[in-house]
Amino acid sequence: MATIREKGYAHWDGTLAERRYPWGPITRTGIRLAFRKKMFRFFFAGAFLPAFLALGGLYISERLEDFKALVQSNRALLRIDPKYFAGFMTNTAVLFSLIFVLVFAASGLIADDLKHNSLQLYFSRPIRKKDYILGKMSVVAFFVLILTAVPYLVLVVFKLIFAGSFQFFLEYPWLPLSVLGYSALLTVFFAFYILLLSALSKNTRYVIVLIWGTYLFSDALSGILFETFRQRAMILFSLRANLQQAGAFLFGQKLPHPVPAVWSFAVLAGICVLAAFVLHRKTRGVEVIK
Amino acid sequence: MTAVIVASNLSKYYGNVLGLNDVSLEIESGVTGLLGPNGAGKSTFMKLITGQMKPNIGRVTVRGGKVWNNPDLFRAIGFCPEQDVFYEEMTGFEFVAGLLRFHGYGPAEVRERAVRALDTVDLAKDKDRLIRGYSRGMRQRVKFAQAIAHDPDILILDEPLSGLDPLGKRKLIKLIKDFKNEGRTVLVSSHVLPEIEALTSRVVLVHQGKILAQGDVPYIRELIEAHPHMISVRSSNPRALAARFVGDPAIQKMTFAADGRTLVVETHKRDDFYGRLTGAVLEGGIEVEEISSPDDNLQAVFEYLVGK
Repeated sequence: MATIREKGYAHWDGTLAERRYPWGPITRTGIRLAFRKKMFRFFFAGAFLPAFLALGGLYISERLEDFKALVQSNRALLRIDPKYFAGFMTNTAVLFSLIFVLVFAASGLIADDLKHNSLQLYFSRPIRKKDYILGKMSVVAFFVLILTAVPYLVLVVFKLIFAGSFQFFLEYPWLPLSVLGYSALLTVFFAFYILLLSALSKNTRYVIVLIWGTYLFSDALSGILFETFRQRAMILFSLRANLQQAGAFLFGQKLPHPVPAVWSFAVLAGICVLAAFVLHRKTRGVEVIK
Repeated sequence: MTAVIVASNLSKYYGNVLGLNDVSLEIESGVTGLLGPNGAGKSTFMKLITGQMKPNIGRVTVRGGKVWNNPDLFRAIGFCPEQDVFYEEMTGFEFVAGLLRFHGYGPAEVRERAVRALDTVDLAKDKDRLIRGYSRGMRQRVKFAQAIAHDPDILILDEPLSGLDPLGKRKLIKLIKDFKNEGRTVLVSSHVLPEIEALTSRVVLVHQGKILAQGDVPYIRELIEAHPHMISVRSSNPRALAARFVGDPAIQKMTFAADGRTLVVETHKRDDFYGRLTGAVLEGGIEVEEISSPDDNLQAVFEYLVGK
């Protein structure tokens, strides 16, 4: 006779939410944990400073008469066109502040999971590896987009409001697309770059050193190689230069470095491919054999 | 009874290191103990059936469905890993609730389930404390809570009792038995035989990536009894003690350890020997300083079984 079992646990009759974004909980947790850090909140707020400066410039440009004394010799600087936007968005200081924010928000995204062996918990849930990586990338994407696409698209709107006409938009209808395109480039690049380095160590401090070290060292290396070989292509070793080159291209500006923009895109894409490979290798259930 | 977990010719290699070698096993509902020394392949087996690794050779199915790359199956599986797996800066509640969200429950259901699971493991009071401040036992319990929070039909528990105090162990053993009585399938690993014995009579012995024996606990005990036990007795006068046992049929062999104070006895009848030793101490006035059984552990059993 078959054993009669008593089901003692509570059955749930509710319906499960449709899991269109199975990576959502990872993203939410990542963002929430970032905002718990005091230092992060400080740098995050500070990272909006360039956008506020741009807004100030935009306002002054529309009220030139009121600020005559202030801008007499700097009228050219306050010409609002795609160059103005590109100047802010591809600025070295803006990239620097973006990295500052990402260092606090995202350096531990994978490193902490490796340190706490959490991967096995994720992968014993109804999610795939791609959901895990997408969830982590979305954390980076959230912060990059909120510091780039959002404020600078808002600036375009402010420009129209301050001007009281659509003239600016009619002159540069592609500008919002440039802002979005460059923001997307920064998002994709930094998502891969930060996660690549985060997957290389279990120690967040090492990851922070790696993030800064790689970024700054690439710049220094590029300078040294250029001085040594006098080859303009050596600029391609600099992450900053490649981002600025790609940014200038997307805003339709004169390229800051005398190499084709496509080369910079290729370098950035190469780093993303390398990162995808490393992430594929590092994010899986691992048994440590001692 | 239909097998819930079926492994067929399962092998897993880590480079040149053999994790699991040609393992075929069927696990039915109820509690099954996976017993083996550290590095035997228990965790590898558990990671294969929880879909975290792909086997190099063979196939594993859970409830008839393939495990690898089949995340929907994990709605029915609760996994409690051996190591600590926490974000220390999270509270116990956040940890359990965060993992529950992957199952697609709404916010209210997540909250309710997390609280219920934490209450089940007696952590309701401490649910809002940071995991950083949890004791070893509390960490073990919060790990168990995340494994049961979504009411899985299959529980995979990797060394769940390690680090728990006797009271905590008793409570967890009761919980696991309750799960069994509800008709669920529980696979528990341990390297401590009495722990497994307290949970189930169905045991699988794993050693060096292979299944060495499979059966109920009395059968495993028989395997152990088939080999002589080694008992060390440290005494001020080991030779006088040995003289009392010469000719005793229960004793296979007697040797003196290098320190000159320890008598090492090999016997099939451990209980008889202890009885006679007590007599010798009382009647002969021989002072005994320490009695130990160097092979009374699982590793020794495995060494016997593999004929080392």
